[in-house]
Amino acid sequence: MQKINKNVVLALLSLTSLVFLLFQLYYYRFYLSQKNGAVFSKVRGSQSGQDSTRWHVVRKFLGLISSHNIPVYLVDPLILGLVDKDIEQIRSSPDGPSPECKYFCAPRDFTTFALLDKTWKHEVGLFRTAEKMGFQWLKIINKDPRLDGMDDLSGIEIPLHYIFKLASHAIHLVVFYERSGNYLWHGPLRLKQHTDRKFVPFRKLHFGRYPGAYEKPELLHVSIDDLKVQIPKNPSSFLEEMSHSRFLECRYKEARAFFQLYPDDSSLDAVEFRKKAKSLLHLAALTLNNLGVKFWLSSGTCLGWYRQCNVIPHSKDVDLGVFIRDYKADIIPAFQKAGLPLKHKFGKVDDSLELSFQGEDDVKLDIFFFYEEDDHMWNGGTQAKSGKKFKYLFPKFTLCWTEFVELKVHVPCETLQYVEANYGPDWKVPVKTWDWKSSPSNVQYNGVWPVDEWDDVIQIY
Amino acid sequence: MDEWKPNPVIKPHKKRSWYLAWKYKLMNQRALRKLCQTGAVLFLLVTVIVNIKLILDTRRAAYAEEEESAQDYDDEMLNVEVPRHPVNSKKVLDVEVYSSRSKVYVAVDGTTVLEDEAREQGRGIHVIVLNQATGHVMAKRVFDTYSPHEDEAMVLFLNMVARGRILIFTVKDEGSFHLKDTAKNVLKSLGSQVAPFLSWRDMWTFVGKKGGEVYGEKHAKSPALSTWGDPVLLKTEVHLTSVEDAECHWPDTELNRRRKRFCSKVEGYGSVCSCKDPTPIEFNPDPLKENKVFNVPVAVIAGNRPNYLYRMLRSLLSAQGVNPQMITVFIDGYYEEPMDVVELFGLSGIQHTPISIKNARVSQHYKASLTATFNLFPDAKFAVVLEEDLDISVDFFSFLSQSIHLLEEDESLYCISAWNDQGYEHTAEDPSLLYRVETMPGLGWVLRKNLYKDELEPKWPTPEKLWDWDMWMRMPEQRKGRECIIPDISRSYHFGIVGLNMNGYFHEAYFKKHKFNTVPNVQLKNVESLRKDAYETEILRLLGEAEVLDHSKNPCEDSFVPDTEGRVYVMFIRMEQEADFTTWTQLAKCLRIWDLDVRGNHKGLWRLFRKKNHFLVVGVPASPYSSKKPSSVTPIYMEPPAKEEGAVAVPAVAAAEQT
Repeated sequence: MQKINKNVVLALLSLTSLVFLLFQLYYYRFYLSQKNGAVFSKVRGSQSGQDSTRWHVVRKFLGLISSHNIPVYLVDPLILGLVDKDIEQIRSSPDGPSPECKYFCAPRDFTTFALLDKTWKHEVGLFRTAEKMGFQWLKIINKDPRLDGMDDLSGIEIPLHYIFKLASHAIHLVVFYERSGNYLWHGPLRLKQHTDRKFVPFRKLHFGRYPGAYEKPELLHVSIDDLKVQIPKNPSSFLEEMSHSRFLECRYKEARAFFQLYPDDSSLDAVEFRKKAKSLLHLAALTLNNLGVKFWLSSGTCLGWYRQCNVIPHSKDVDLGVFIRDYKADIIPAFQKAGLPLKHKFGKVDDSLELSFQGEDDVKLDIFFFYEEDDHMWNGGTQAKSGKKFKYLFPKFTLCWTEFVELKVHVPCETLQYVEANYGPDWKVPVKTWDWKSSPSNVQYNGVWPVDEWDDVIQIY
Repeated sequence: MDEWKPNPVIKPHKKRSWYLAWKYKLMNQRALRKLCQTGAVLFLLVTVIVNIKLILDTRRAAYAEEEESAQDYDDEMLNVEVPRHPVNSKKVLDVEVYSSRSKVYVAVDGTTVLEDEAREQGRGIHVIVLNQATGHVMAKRVFDTYSPHEDEAMVLFLNMVARGRILIFTVKDEGSFHLKDTAKNVLKSLGSQVAPFLSWRDMWTFVGKKGGEVYGEKHAKSPALSTWGDPVLLKTEVHLTSVEDAECHWPDTELNRRRKRFCSKVEGYGSVCSCKDPTPIEFNPDPLKENKVFNVPVAVIAGNRPNYLYRMLRSLLSAQGVNPQMITVFIDGYYEEPMDVVELFGLSGIQHTPISIKNARVSQHYKASLTATFNLFPDAKFAVVLEEDLDISVDFFSFLSQSIHLLEEDESLYCISAWNDQGYEHTAEDPSLLYRVETMPGLGWVLRKNLYKDELEPKWPTPEKLWDWDMWMRMPEQRKGRECIIPDISRSYHFGIVGLNMNGYFHEAYFKKHKFNTVPNVQLKNVESLRKDAYETEILRLLGEAEVLDHSKNPCEDSFVPDTEGRVYVMFIRMEQEADFTTWTQLAKCLRIWDLDVRGNHKGLWRLFRKKNHFLVVGVPASPYSSKKPSSVTPIYMEPPAKEEGAVAVPAVAAAEQT
């Protein structure tokens, strides 16, 4: 009898354990599917369900926005990556029916679309319709950066991102704004305190960690997976652009604080110099962009941007940096063609290259070439009369976009380190007398050019 | 796990025989049985542990997820919600109203909603409108009924207030001198017993519901002409109604939702809030064919004159070819009501922190507005600049669309303006005619972006300079000899009576009789002849065909110009050098046109209409057109009245008046 009881106990125990096991399995699966719908896509049957959900959600969304005449275009990096592989075929048969769901069924959490702000009217009707269709939506608004430079304006928050969620899939709609400098800008995605942090896994969004700057894309109407969408004409270059799109806003608040301490020079000379520097910078940017040479604001021009969001009126020249690996022999003729004769050329491609071009009325354009080492970057300087060489060291940096004097240009993302390396911890204090050989805090004496090379490495025109 | 597979213990009773056999077998194999038992217990334990761990894990993962997603994406600024005032669920409002010679105040539930004790200001009847459901202040007005016509404005206002609203009246100083019977009757119809007998320097307070009960009234008679009545303080209670009763039941559309929001907040806009037949807030005027200004941003510069803004936006949105998306209203200061008006029409509005004072404040507001406009519309080559006290002609955009290419192509142009300073009822005639003038009229004009960005913005007067932006723009350093294109008949109408440089008298004298085009789709004549050189040819042609008037007559007399129509006449006045406007100013005075400074000239030539004839005035010898003067004609000289020595300053002061 006792033994039978033991067995009953055993049986009961194993039953409980089985129940536990089932529960465990169920819970695990539930948790995973909530976290990432794609994990169980290997399970047959569930795959087509999940996949077609994505397709259906995208189709519904496209229906929604076309019923309100809102032109969106696809910017989803996963799908554009897939599309790019078959781009020739897709271009050649823009309306052909597709046998299988190849792109919009691919496993992912979101599908990302872009919307140009000026092409729609912010109708509230869109969201009512969306709700009727079963979408949950979230709008992320923030300050309008186009008015950020002006502290005394208010009341302006603009929508930066929309997220439409249906079933297990979500549509991320990124709003692009046109800005001065003929480029498109999208904002960062920042949640306000009361926003639902679990609405979607925000970390996985492809856009929104940082603001981004893009060229205005050429668009192409295509039909993929039987859905009519617009995509960037050249997906691969769009994806390339996307990977380097991070945008830095100028520090308007700090700039205003700076001008409180050191009132701006609004004399006629300063106005004139700024105007000339601006047009010189525009011309230089046009020339270098045409050549495909990547450049950034360096030295005084960079300091002006970082400290006061403007050209420093007493700086007397415009400084740009270029990586030596981007050097092209065409640079000099291209500038000459643009009306900027070479003023001097110091160093050589292997070492300490520096070019100076003569702009209008004594405003000089300096291009410093940067050399990359394992743990730092540097550019060189040369004193013409003595042949002395100098080296300016910078911590390693990457490039970000910004807007400066109505121009979309690069600056070092790690601007503070860059500026501090160059100007020391007191960079916030304006200095009018500046000696390029001794003032910079990152300057190092770097020997003397051998006399027989002087003709080559010290060219003055 | 494998161990358990052959163990079908789950439903033992159904397979009893097999179970028994198996049990028997097991009992015989003690060791195996022991092993199974231990295995089972062990497995159970493991399962439980794994389970618990899993639960803990997922919990942690969920938290981590939450934190992670928050981390990068949190707004740096902690947008702490401002605690809202608790919803007023109280059904009764305590209202206190005070009236006296030097001070008035109104307090609702202990909150002062009106307090005026400024000297020599706020004389007359103060009116406050409260929402009968929420008790919020919807409108605040003061009508100086000591002065003429203000009682008419009050009647107009009271008629616009919706039935059921709570009205509060109080008198400061004096409110009866020009309070006519019509106004008294209106007050009587609101339930006031005292109003019909309100007299010189009486103090009076009254609280009542429009078209309903009276909550209280107090009055103190002035004992003598030289003294005021004793101060009166009225304390009363007002019963609130439900929100439902206080609102109209319009069909639920996007437009009506905007309307509802607006009408529950503010009062005094008349039929836009009428329950039965509200006036539209969307106008859908005809689009223009080939509209070249459809994508040109429109900046509306506004202050705190919401009724003006309302009227202005109505006319703007009714103009053919308007594109509401391009309109931005810039409000100078954190005023709510203008913003409510902007939202009513579904437009975007930006508020601007006031910088500096008076004229400099206006000037800084202009600068911020223009900069913001070009930042918001980086593609734009132009911006249309309007002010809140302008009516906009129905063909405003058509006029601009036909002429804007000139501003783009002709470097000698400074602006296109919709306003002709000299275009009065009796001096403007031809809606299709354009002029080039050396002055910048403003009042509805187009600014070129590169002019603003390259020249004006960097040099714009700083806040400490108390300059008028328009005077500054007219200075030779800025204008650099460039000209503006204007129409003969203005495409804007300046209706503002209250303003920085404006008062009723001034408006009546200089603006009221201004001609305003109401004809749609006017086809402009000879637009190409407005280019720099072509215009000279055109002028010479006109002078060639013009008949010289009889210079022996008095040019101020009507008979100076023959009773003809459609002819071209020319007269010559004395103008010793470029800046000598002595005779012109006298002529402008007697012609009853703008004479406060010189406007509308082009190289010493003025063009206007008299008796429907084109009338040209040439200043000799300063004008290059002097050569057209027949040698027999002596230019007319008109002397300024001798006693006006002290008035030399007048043009300088008044020059600013047009802002």
